[in-house]
Amino acid sequence: MSAAKVKMRGKKMRNQPVSVQYPSSSAQNGGDTPNPERTKNPHQRGGWVRGHQKDGGGYTKEMPKHITAGSFASARAAEVQAMLTAVTKTTGSCHVYGALPKHMRRRSMSHNTKRLPRRLRDVANRMREKSLQAGSKKKKEQPKSKSRKARRRHGNLLLEFNRRQRKNMWLETHIWHAKRFHMVKKWGYCLGDRPTYKCYRACYRAMSSHCLLQDLSYYCCIELQGEEDKLLACLSLLTSKETGPTFAAALSLSGRRQGSVVLYRAGQYPSQPLGPVTFLWRPLVPVVIPAGVVLTPEPESEKTPEAQQVTGTKRKHSGKDASVPPAKKILGDGTRSPTTAVTWKSSSTGIVINDLTLELVRYRLIGPQSHSVLAETLEAATDCHEIDKSQSSPLWWPEHCKDENKMNLHQQQADVYHILKGIYSTGELPPGTVLGLTVDDPRVTLPTKKVKALPCVKQAQEVDEEKRKELMLQGVPEHCCQSYLWEQSVRDNVTDNKISEQQLNRMKSEVLVPGSRLSPIPLQGRVPILLVHQPGKQVGHEMSSWGAGWDLLLPKGWGMAFWVPLVYRGVRIGGLNMTLKHSQNKGVSHFPHDYPDCPAGVRFQEEQESELLDKFKRRPPAKRTNYIKHGCLAPFRCPWQQLAEEWELITREAESQTTTEADTVMEEKMTSRRDITVTKPQSHVTVLRNRKSLRLLSGWCKPTTSKGQRRCRVGEVPPLDRSAATSFLATHVMSLVWVRLSLLSKGKPEFHAMVCVPTAEDLQLLKKGSSSTGPQEPPHKDHFKSRIKRKKKGNKKTSTPALLPKTDSNESDLPSTSEPNPTTSKDPKSSSQSTSDLIFGLWPDPLPSVTSHCSRVTLGWVTQGDFSLSAGCGEALGFVSVAGLLNTFVNQPMEHRGTLLLRNPTSLHYRFAKINIEV
Amino acid sequence: MVRVKSRYLLCEVNVPDRSRLLLLDDRAVAAAVREAVARIHGDYGAALCSSGFTVKYLNAHTGIVFLRLPKRSYRLLWSALPFISSIEARGQKVSCFLSCLHVGGTIRTCQKFLIQYNKQQLHRMLPKCKNPEEEQKIRRAILNCSVPGGNMEGLEDEDDDDDEEEEEE
Repeated sequence: MSAAKVKMRGKKMRNQPVSVQYPSSSAQNGGDTPNPERTKNPHQRGGWVRGHQKDGGGYTKEMPKHITAGSFASARAAEVQAMLTAVTKTTGSCHVYGALPKHMRRRSMSHNTKRLPRRLRDVANRMREKSLQAGSKKKKEQPKSKSRKARRRHGNLLLEFNRRQRKNMWLETHIWHAKRFHMVKKWGYCLGDRPTYKCYRACYRAMSSHCLLQDLSYYCCIELQGEEDKLLACLSLLTSKETGPTFAAALSLSGRRQGSVVLYRAGQYPSQPLGPVTFLWRPLVPVVIPAGVVLTPEPESEKTPEAQQVTGTKRKHSGKDASVPPAKKILGDGTRSPTTAVTWKSSSTGIVINDLTLELVRYRLIGPQSHSVLAETLEAATDCHEIDKSQSSPLWWPEHCKDENKMNLHQQQADVYHILKGIYSTGELPPGTVLGLTVDDPRVTLPTKKVKALPCVKQAQEVDEEKRKELMLQGVPEHCCQSYLWEQSVRDNVTDNKISEQQLNRMKSEVLVPGSRLSPIPLQGRVPILLVHQPGKQVGHEMSSWGAGWDLLLPKGWGMAFWVPLVYRGVRIGGLNMTLKHSQNKGVSHFPHDYPDCPAGVRFQEEQESELLDKFKRRPPAKRTNYIKHGCLAPFRCPWQQLAEEWELITREAESQTTTEADTVMEEKMTSRRDITVTKPQSHVTVLRNRKSLRLLSGWCKPTTSKGQRRCRVGEVPPLDRSAATSFLATHVMSLVWVRLSLLSKGKPEFHAMVCVPTAEDLQLLKKGSSSTGPQEPPHKDHFKSRIKRKKKGNKKTSTPALLPKTDSNESDLPSTSEPNPTTSKDPKSSSQSTSDLIFGLWPDPLPSVTSHCSRVTLGWVTQGDFSLSAGCGEALGFVSVAGLLNTFVNQPMEHRGTLLLRNPTSLHYRFAKINIEV
Repeated sequence: MVRVKSRYLLCEVNVPDRSRLLLLDDRAVAAAVREAVARIHGDYGAALCSSGFTVKYLNAHTGIVFLRLPKRSYRLLWSALPFISSIEARGQKVSCFLSCLHVGGTIRTCQKFLIQYNKQQLHRMLPKCKNPEEEQKIRRAILNCSVPGGNMEGLEDEDDDDDEEEEEE
């Protein structure tokens, strides 16, 4: 019975008599006559209680030896009293009408108390007042809200919007997204995660055959200004040549191409990465000396340019708007108070750092037809001949029209843009091409109905074939990469002078022929933009340049003006979810997910773990997956550090075995190095990004096509043997390597699936029949279950917990574990201490050895896994320990090298997978 | 509205030695009734007893018991009551018999009857008194029983109503 029911019942039974009897526990050791005052008591105070009462219904008097007539009489009298109260008091206390017999009750009595018999009137009046009061109180509790009409009035609506985005910023397309997407609050923004309609496959199709649009304005954008050599000197500290082209790469330095690097903390190269960054050098204009660079780090990645002695670059959304928010639409970053510095200047080098986040709108178009969507939506700006050129104008475009040079440049850019229309696929262009352009307001050419932008074949024939070839081979010429978007004044001018939708619609309605195009286009409608080509799939051997596209950079305030026309060209819209799938299919590591050594990646992992744990705990224990039985130690996180440490230990063990056999010189070398490793302080796990090493590793794992049917040709790779492996591990023993695993048969990998080493028998099985599905993991025993049960029981009887069976008993029967488990030996003791935070189905915190917990040795975990629509089989991206991987390769026979096992956390079934390291 | 109907038996536990009465408790009485029913009517009776049978009230001083029985089978169960010759309570056998004073459709009618009955008994006790001290006590008890506010009439009215309802059942 619920508490409310008990209360109700208590109230109802308050006047009912309780049994009068002596407590059963007391012995009959006599006493004197019962006190009549005392005997009456239980009737007064007890009230009716359900069931048998142990203490005799509160009647705690010792039993007398004999009774007298007087006491008997008083007992009778007491009983009569009790019965009288029970009979006279009405039980149904809430309604006076209950006191009336049925045939006398009338409906109208409830509001007209005069209909009641007089004896009940007073009570009824009191009750009625009470209920009226309660009703009015409830009404008062509701917040005083204005009428809907008032709330929807424009000014009030804007105020409300500004209030709502105080904590989490909105992008310019927020309202559009909020109507159609599941929104998530992430990184201080409100972002669309996935559409509310079903479109997973449609979005994939759009990416691979037409065009998918995303709003990426939440990317941090930082502008650095300074002299080129000084800038390069500072930036070179943050990167390393070993990871690929740096800031100083010739192509990107000229401003023709966009580059991308992974940043590290200044001078800390192999350790402490910060995150990936794409950058763009502003092309040199002969007049302007300082070069600029726009860095676009992914969200959340904090950039600490220690090289420039500027600290505190980490942007915080400190919404300290003390003043009343103005009823004005916020453009750009509304939370940024005008006093907050967005610019830092280094005193020693003169480098200026500008934070341009939310100053630029960034849209990404993905797919082979994205250029035709762009070509249909945007038109190169028409110049203004009609205007009197002598007159100065507050707008920027008429001023530009006066300058012959600028108009020439614009003409050239427009020509390049025209050629662009004739290209067959976006992927044909050189990756990272940049094109600056000035375009007309796309709202003017908005079609009345949604149309699907198709490549214009006719135009393609018209365009000069040679020019197109040149564009495809060379990219955009250097001077055409210049855009006025770089200039703060032009950006501001464009943003301030934007024609509102309302005005534009009025102008459209005033056109003589309804539906015809507005001409001349109002002078305000010229927008400088920057088109940046995004490379598609560059790694691997198939589906190359899949998912290539364009990034469209706009000045702030113009977001919706460009968004709707783009949507009207039949593109699909994707959210964060699609970004993840895009990078997954492209074979690019996605920022917070696949950077476990970055601070943002670590934070992401923690968030993900707590989120998954909450979700897990919400289920009733009987309906949860028992991960202990599945032999899954950490289903919600990946203990990378522990994995790397364990594999380091294993390799060292193996080394010491080999050195005893080797000659003395070798031994000396080994020991000396081992000393170094011993003396080295506990290093953190890092992800291997050295391209040379990656290429070597990739060659060793025998790259094949995605399903493993065909071998791919690779360049000359030194043969893998024990010595090569040890020399490789000398530098990378604590590293993880990002790998792609494709399943050989069926199965869909999930995230946090285990990557394991197959045993010799497994490989035999694979050799026999390629259709074999894979080995099974024997179910583990859950020793914590009994402990949880005992803990629950322990509340009742405080018995000391008996000694538990040793937790490492399930590891004793493992065939493949010859390695010592340093963590398991101390496990039982420590886990018995932590019984307080036991969760059913999960291992308590000090995990035993992660590598040798199951019957197959664990190498790593999967961070993303799904059925890949592009490959047609299950594909997973994850990290494995370099030491473990090499160890496995050395021990595996040549024909099976690179074959690993994959097991989902919720399954006991291992699946064969082929490992690929794509550089 | 449909409700589960039951009959309430107002019984008196008669014992040769009054002090033994104090040993009783509700569970012992219930067990004795169950046992008797099982003895007389077998498994069928025991099964009827299992639902809807409770001891609603027991006064160990006066030996008054309210038994609730399901209306469907109360006659059958009632017929077993005379066969109770002793009640086992607190490890002791209290030899007794149950006499039924009243059968009511609601517990309220039983309570009303009990009031009347108790009063009557007290009045009967008065002439049997041996010493003035006792007499004094009983007189006080009788005075205590009188209804405060004197709404005895209303009570009796309701009594009639309830009786009518019972007949309708």
